[in-house]
Parts: sequence; structure tokens; C-alpha cells
Amino acid sequence: MSLRLAARLARRELRGGIRGFRIFLACLALGVAAIAAVGTVRASIEAGLEQEGAALLGGDAELDFTYRFATPEERAWMRDNASDVSEIVDFRSMAVAERDGQTERGLTQVKSVDDAYPLVGAVGLSPDMTLEAALAGKNGRPGAVMDQLLIDRMALNVGDEFALGTQQYILMAALLAEPDGAAGGFGLGPRTIVATQSLAQSGLLAPGSLYSSKYRLLLPPDVDISALEDQAKARFENSGLRWSDARNGAPGVAEFVDRLGAFLVLVGLSGLAVGGVGVSAAVRAYLAGKTSVIATLRTLGADRATLFQTYFIQVGALSLFGIAIGLVLGGAIPVLLAPLIESRLPIPAVFTLYPAPLMEAAIYGVLTALIFTLWPLARIGEVRAATLFRDALSGAKLLPPFRYLAIIALGLATLIVLAGWFSGTWRLTLWTAGGIAAALLILSVAAGAVRWCARRGGRALRNRPVFRWALSAIGGTGEGAVSVVLSLGLGLSVLATVGQIDGNLRNAISGQLPEVAPSYFFVDIQKDQMEGYAARLEDDPSVRRVESAPMLRGVITGINGQPARDIAGDHWVLQGDRGVTYSDQPPNNTRITDGAWWPQDYTGPPQVSFAAEEAQEMGLKLGDMLTINILGRDITATISSFREVDFSTAGIGFILSMNPAALSGAPHTFISTVYAAPEAEAAILRDLSTRYPNITAIRVRDAIDRVADLMAGLAAATSYGAAATLLTGFLVLIGAAAAGEGARTYEAAILKTLGASRGRILRSFALRSAILGAAAGAVALVAGIAGGWAVSAYVMDTSFTVIWPSALSIIIGGVCATLLASLAFAMRSLSARPAHILRAKE
Amino acid sequence: MTDPVISLRDAALSLNGNAGRVDILRAITLDVAAGETLGLVGPSGSGKSSLLMLIGGLERATGGSIHMMGQDLTALDEDQLARLRLQYMGVVFQSFHLIPTMTALENVATPLELAGHRDAFARAEEELHAVGLSHRTGHYPAQMSGGEQQRVALARASAPRPKILLADEPTGNLDGSNGAAITDLLFDLRDRHAATLVLVTHSNTLAARCDRVIRLRDGQIDQNLKAAE
Repeated sequence: MSLRLAARLARRELRGGIRGFRIFLACLALGVAAIAAVGTVRASIEAGLEQEGAALLGGDAELDFTYRFATPEERAWMRDNASDVSEIVDFRSMAVAERDGQTERGLTQVKSVDDAYPLVGAVGLSPDMTLEAALAGKNGRPGAVMDQLLIDRMALNVGDEFALGTQQYILMAALLAEPDGAAGGFGLGPRTIVATQSLAQSGLLAPGSLYSSKYRLLLPPDVDISALEDQAKARFENSGLRWSDARNGAPGVAEFVDRLGAFLVLVGLSGLAVGGVGVSAAVRAYLAGKTSVIATLRTLGADRATLFQTYFIQVGALSLFGIAIGLVLGGAIPVLLAPLIESRLPIPAVFTLYPAPLMEAAIYGVLTALIFTLWPLARIGEVRAATLFRDALSGAKLLPPFRYLAIIALGLATLIVLAGWFSGTWRLTLWTAGGIAAALLILSVAAGAVRWCARRGGRALRNRPVFRWALSAIGGTGEGAVSVVLSLGLGLSVLATVGQIDGNLRNAISGQLPEVAPSYFFVDIQKDQMEGYAARLEDDPSVRRVESAPMLRGVITGINGQPARDIAGDHWVLQGDRGVTYSDQPPNNTRITDGAWWPQDYTGPPQVSFAAEEAQEMGLKLGDMLTINILGRDITATISSFREVDFSTAGIGFILSMNPAALSGAPHTFISTVYAAPEAEAAILRDLSTRYPNITAIRVRDAIDRVADLMAGLAAATSYGAAATLLTGFLVLIGAAAAGEGARTYEAAILKTLGASRGRILRSFALRSAILGAAAGAVALVAGIAGGWAVSAYVMDTSFTVIWPSALSIIIGGVCATLLASLAFAMRSLSARPAHILRAKE
Repeated sequence: MTDPVISLRDAALSLNGNAGRVDILRAITLDVAAGETLGLVGPSGSGKSSLLMLIGGLERATGGSIHMMGQDLTALDEDQLARLRLQYMGVVFQSFHLIPTMTALENVATPLELAGHRDAFARAEEELHAVGLSHRTGHYPAQMSGGEQQRVALARASAPRPKILLADEPTGNLDGSNGAAITDLLFDLRDRHAATLVLVTHSNTLAARCDRVIRLRDGQIDQNLKAAE
């Protein structure tokens, strides 16, 4: 029979409307909408970053140097190629203000600028004035502008004085908008802007101090940026130059948005998987209701292929409809909410409809619909004409024919490959797919186990009719129990996993870390200050430990004579500059895992000891030659040992440690950690800051709070994704409750006829929901703990403890959700007159 | 006649449908004595099953009064009606109405459990044995034939030893031999428990076995006959 006939039959069937398909459509639409919305927001931000690249960067291109200013040759090259150049210097420092005999100190990220700043965009100040006027200061004092947060923290007012190092400034205005603020990435302190020339007497930019200089270029319109980049790199890369340009004005932000977007899409895919369970259940329920129609068509001579095509076309048309709704919602909601989203984003975004993310969401939707509907559709062929008025599908085989299984497997493989390709994170995609598959498998087994236990329990629980009815209902009918446990269980599993990861991360950062972390990091301690610095701390009984090390910063540019990135790819160690120290003996608490430390007073060719774990990830081995650019000079050193470096305690940890002779001649400062009793921290800071104004103190607890805030934002974004998954699960739950309403009404009518009160029937309905919800919650609890442990152990490298409040709330949530969905439908079942229900079945 | 166990005075039933108000039953006055077997006959749509539902408290009268075992059904709420059925009545339907998620044994035991009998399952097994289904106790309704399902329904109705048995075309969905077997079982149960039996039927054979037969037409009692007549 022809496809045309199947299409005609499908059209006639669909004339009945989409009443039975509301949950089907909602599941697909919600899953697709979530993915489309995440993709649209991501594309909007990426477009914003691209469009505003020059403003974010502060120019068309930027040359970045660590520890030093550009050489005359480099400056000449910039002048020759750019129409305008602006120099800024970026470093951390302490702002110190005297107020009523009290000294207020605040860590700040200082940006010192020249007259040309900003080349692109404008600085917003309050009170309104030009930056030039603000930085000029008054009464002979240079001016500064400061982030309102720091102004509040230090209880300053416009017109007050404060010091950076040994230089006094007058606060001229609050900094409201910084055009290139987003490109700087994660800063430990709020921003202060001063003029570079005012820092000459501050003592802050001494040789070896930690600062970076950035040169922003405005280029003539006809310049080929790509060619200019190649030219700059060819000429200056060995000097430690780093290049960025307006094509990607905030590379760190862009990468972060890309990663977070990819992760949220994967969370969205788990939501689509939950929706798939609902879609599958809806198709099963629809086909069960169509059994007599299918059997009648068979009686009239329809073959299996025609019947399959008839329902495949119906389900396909409805799937496309659901996906279209999802695309409209997912595309439109971010655009409609653009003002709200933009107000909460620290970066620009261009909200409009982007075809690529919508296409991606549509493809996921189509594949999910195919994977989850083919199985029930394949069973149409099993309906025989002879079983017209029998429970035709109850005796059906467990598995559909092989060809359908093969198509399902192919669809699944395509979905995973596409998800990996779209997200660009294969490992995460495979972990997510594996996690969803494992969760579905565990949940299926759990659903089977619950049914088995219910059947057994039902027989054991004689004379407790309320319990027995509940258990009989769970054990007797497969679909309801399986749908509820699968959909709610998967939704709760995602939420539980996110909860466990988030909780453990918070524990690690805010709970455990402060206990093992030092009180302060002191940076930029000059060599001649070390003696006095150490003496102050040695005499203090509240100081438990002080660790100090010389620190320089360097960029690994080559491995065995090859560009480093060609050998070790995009490993984080190669991204930007890293701290480098030197020592004639291994630090305490360090274990050499391979090779040997250089002898004391070694003066031979440079040697380097490398962090073992990172070396393994980068494929380094003993004897490899590393080229490290420090202060514009290339030093090539042989790897002579690997050692364990523990970054989890926030103590001093260097990836690279070299023999003293290789570095001690270079200008550098010292870094030091102080472990002190909390009540002594203020006095230590006061004494050291007063005595050495150039030293910057970073209070570790404040830094931890900053990181915790950042993590809270990430956890919130992930929780929204997980909530969409849970909402889909709840929809499936409502679908299952709605699908079971007829059966429950019938059951209630019979039980009433037999003498059961409404209260008893309601208790039985509630009990069965609670049991299923608890089962789904229990599996989610196990899956969440397992998932959280796996991520903690293998991804974050932190210890894992079960976050019980989050875990238990998952079970309680599961029970409440099923109770809510089921009882909402139970009321109608209970209020129906038995005679009407029973006679309708005659 | 001794005090009737079922008594209807001007009982009426009207339903509001899409097409407007429909009078299903009008001015039904009827007494059924203890131990009597009453047959309700009449053409389709005459109101036989509706009358049975009114007597069973499964439908609410819109007029008149219905007393059963001395209690006014029109004054009782849903749960009180359910308790009354539990105490006095067993109901058998044409379509059996077994709970699909329960085995035969569980279906039969349910009213006994509701009544709080500790030996509900032992008694349910006896009842299934009595209807010849000892070998089907663990089967679900979908795994049984129509005749077997109706026997389970009979066992379920008789298990609490009801004083009143209501049967709505109990053989309507069965073939001749199964129908005859069910009829024999039904009357046997009535005899065993000395119950009052009210049954709706299209079958003359079944009606002939009743003590009294009432013929309904257009929702009213058309004839009140002794079976022999």
C-alpha cells in the first residue's frame, strides 16, 4: 500500500485533534526551547563581543607585556603601524586611607593610564566629568577614580585622600563604567584608575614588581589585522609579547561563555531526554487507545507497513509541531527578555534571532523524537485483527524488530556525535551521554524492581487494603510506574548531581579551604625588604607558619625547540604567564616523583623542576628542554625532575622551579604566605603595610569569597538548566497522571461499589504516588551522589562528602511532585458517580 | 409481606444532558421483601439498570425516597452509601468490572478487607473454590475469559455474605453455556446466603426463575408480575 494512503489515513486520524498529545507537545517544546534559548543567549553574547570587540579591548589591537614596558624598538613599531597608541599598566595594590585616626586598607586592581586612554568608548564617572580632569586632581595632588564598591568598603567620599604605595591621591569621582572592563577577566579587587605618570614616586612599579603593560593600538581602516598580527609575532614573540585584537576583544570571556553555553546545552539535552520519556509514554498511551482502530484497519486489509506509516506520519507531524513551538519560544524569549538579561550581563550582547542555535535545537528535537517514538511505533505491527476487543498490546514482545532497534541506535549515535561537534567538548559530551544512559538504565531497573517489590508486597500486605491497592496498582500496570520513575528520576538525578557538585565545591572553597589556606598572600616584597618582613613575623606568637619564595613570571614558549602549543596544545599552563621560582633545594612538603633536584650551588646550564601532574597532561618527560620567556629574555632549561604540587590548599605552588643561578640575577620580588590566628591578621596587615607601602596584601578569605561568589553565579546558571529538566520531568509526571486518570476513575468507581470510602481511596492514590516519587527520589539520590563523587574525584580533584540537606530535599521533592501531580487528578476520579463510570464501560 | 428490605416511593431519576433534561425513571414505587428474588425486565433504555443503580446507591434519586434495610439512601452521603453497600450488598455487573491491576484472589478479598475481616484471603479462596476457580487465584482479569471473570465477580459479590445481591444483566456478555453456569451459581449463592436478589435481565429463562418480575417501559413500572405469569 502506498505512502499516500498512509498520509490520508493519518490526516483523518488527526482530525480528532491533539488532545492526547498535549504533554507530548509540551515535553518536546520545552526541551527544544531550553536548548534554543541557551544557544540564542550564547550567540547573542558572542555577537556582542564581536561587535564591541574594539571597545572591550580598548583598541583595535593590544600588545601585552609582563613585568616590563615596551622597548624603544617595540614602541617604534607600534607608532609606525598604528594611527594612535595608548599605554596602560595593570597591577594589584593596596589603597590606604587615614580617617579619624583609623587606617582603612583595601585591595585594588589598579589601572594606570596615559592621556590617550580610552582610545575607544568612554569612561563613566560620578560626579560627571572627563577622565582627564579627574586624573589631573587638585591642590597639587594627582587624582584617582575608584569603583563604588571600594569607595563604600573604605568609607571614602569624593574629595578624600588615599595612598597607593607612597603616593597620595585625591579621590575625584566614582567609576561607573569602564569601556574595557570586561576584557580584564577575574580581578581580586575593585578597580582604581590613576595616571601612569603619577606613579613615578609610588614605589609600586619597581623592577620585579608584578605588573603588566598593555599597548592599545588604533589601526588605519585598511590594515589587515591578521597580517599585522603575524608581523608582530614574527618580530617580537620571543620577547614575551602577547597579541590580542578586536576580532576577539575579550578572549577569556568569549571562551567562558562558549564553555558555559556548551555545558548548559548538555544539561538541556538531559532535559530533552526526560522529555523523550514523556514523548514515548504519550505515544504508547495514544496507540493503546487506538488499538481497536488499528485492529479494525487490519481487519479491513491494512498491512503492517501502511499502519506503521500512518502513525509514523501522525507522530512525525506532531513532533515537528512541538519542535516548532519550542523554536519559537526558545528564540523569542531571550529576545523579549533582552533588556532584563542585558542589565544583568557585564558584557555586551546583541539579542536577535540566530539561525545556528535554532537549527541545533531543532536537530536535537528531531533526533530525540525519533529515538523515543520509534520503539512504541514499531509495536503497531504486533496488533492482530483477532485481538480487536482484547488487551492487544499486553502480550506483546519485549523488543521491537531489529531494524527499528538499529535505527534507534543510529539516531542515538548521531545525536551524541552532533552534541560533541556542536559543543566542542567531546569528553564532557560523552560523560553526559554516559551519565544519562546509565541513569536511564538504573531507573529502568529501579522501576522494574519497584513493580516487583510492589507485587510481592501487595501479596504480603493482606488486610491493609489501602496499602495493598496502592501496591497492586504499581505492580499491576507497567506504564505509569515506569514513566514516573524514569522521567521524574532523571530530572531529579540531574538536579541532585548539580546539588552535590555545587555543595562540594562550596565546601571546598568556603568550608575546607579557609581552614588549610593561609591568612594572607603578600606579593611584591622587594629582596631588601625580606629580612625586616621575616623579623616582624618571627616574633609574633600568633603566626603559625610563613612561607616565602622568590617569584618571577614567565611564558613557556617552546618545548624541545618547537613552539610549545604545537607540542602541548591548549593546556592551561601555556595560556598566559606563569609564576616561576628558584630554589637550591626542594621546598618542604614537596615530593620529587621522578628525577633529581640540582645540587646546592649548581651553576651549570639551567635546570627546571616541573609539576608532575601537569607535565603528564602535557606529555613532558625528563630531559625535555623548555624555553621560558622571562622579562623578555628566553631561558632554555632542561627538565631534571618532576614533583607533586598541591594547588588545593591555596598555599604557594609553582609549576616551574629553576636552579637559583638561572634566575637570581634577574630583577624580581618575593611572594609570601602567612598562616596566622584570625584575631592577629589585622595587626599583621597594619604593621607590614605601614612599614612597606609597596607590598600588596591579599586576604585569602576575601579571595575565597570572590571565587565563591563566582561559583554561586555558575551554580545558579546550571541550576536553571537543571530546573528546566525537572520541569520537563514534572510535565511527564502530569502526563502520566492524566493518562492514568481514566483507570483511576474506573478503579475508584469499583472500590466505591464494593464499599470503600473516598478517604480510603484517596489515601491509596496518595500512597502509590508517594512510593513512586520516593523510588524516583532514591534513585536520583544514588545517581546524584555517584555523579557528584565522579566529578569531584575526576574533574575537580577535591574530596567528596554527601551534602545531605540537598540530597534529602531531592527525595522529599520527588514525593511532593508526584503527590501533587497525582492528587490534582485524583479529585476528579473521586468525585465521579460510580454508576456513570461503570455503565460507560458496559 | 414482612418489612421490606428495599422500599421505593415515587423514586425518580432525571439527568441533564447536552440535549436537555432527560427523565430516566418516573414515580417508581416498589417494595422488595427479604429473601425475595426480583427480576427487572423491559426493552433497552427502559430504565432497568438505572433502577438497579438507584437501589444500590450508585446513582442518586432526583425525586421520591429509597429505603434500604430501613435507611433512607437519599439522606446519605457518598461514604455512608459505600458503608451501607459494604454492610449489606453485593453487586454483579454485565461487564464484570474487576480491578485490572489485581489478581482474582485480590479482587475477591477486597470487600472483605474493607470490612476488616482478618481472614479475608482465606475466605476469598473459599469463594473462588465455590465458583470453580481455585486454579485461577493468581491470574489477572486480562488473563481470564469472560465467563471466568464473571465468576470472579460473583465470588467477590458474595464473599461478604450480603443480605442483598444486585445483578445487572450478569449473563449479558456471555455465551449460552457460560450464561447458564453463571445463572446457576447466582441462584446457588442466593440460596446459600438466604439473600434478597434483584436482577436485571433480558433473558426469559432467567426471569422465569425469579419470584417476581417487574417490567419497565419508558422509565415507569409497566407490569408487576409473578414469575409464573
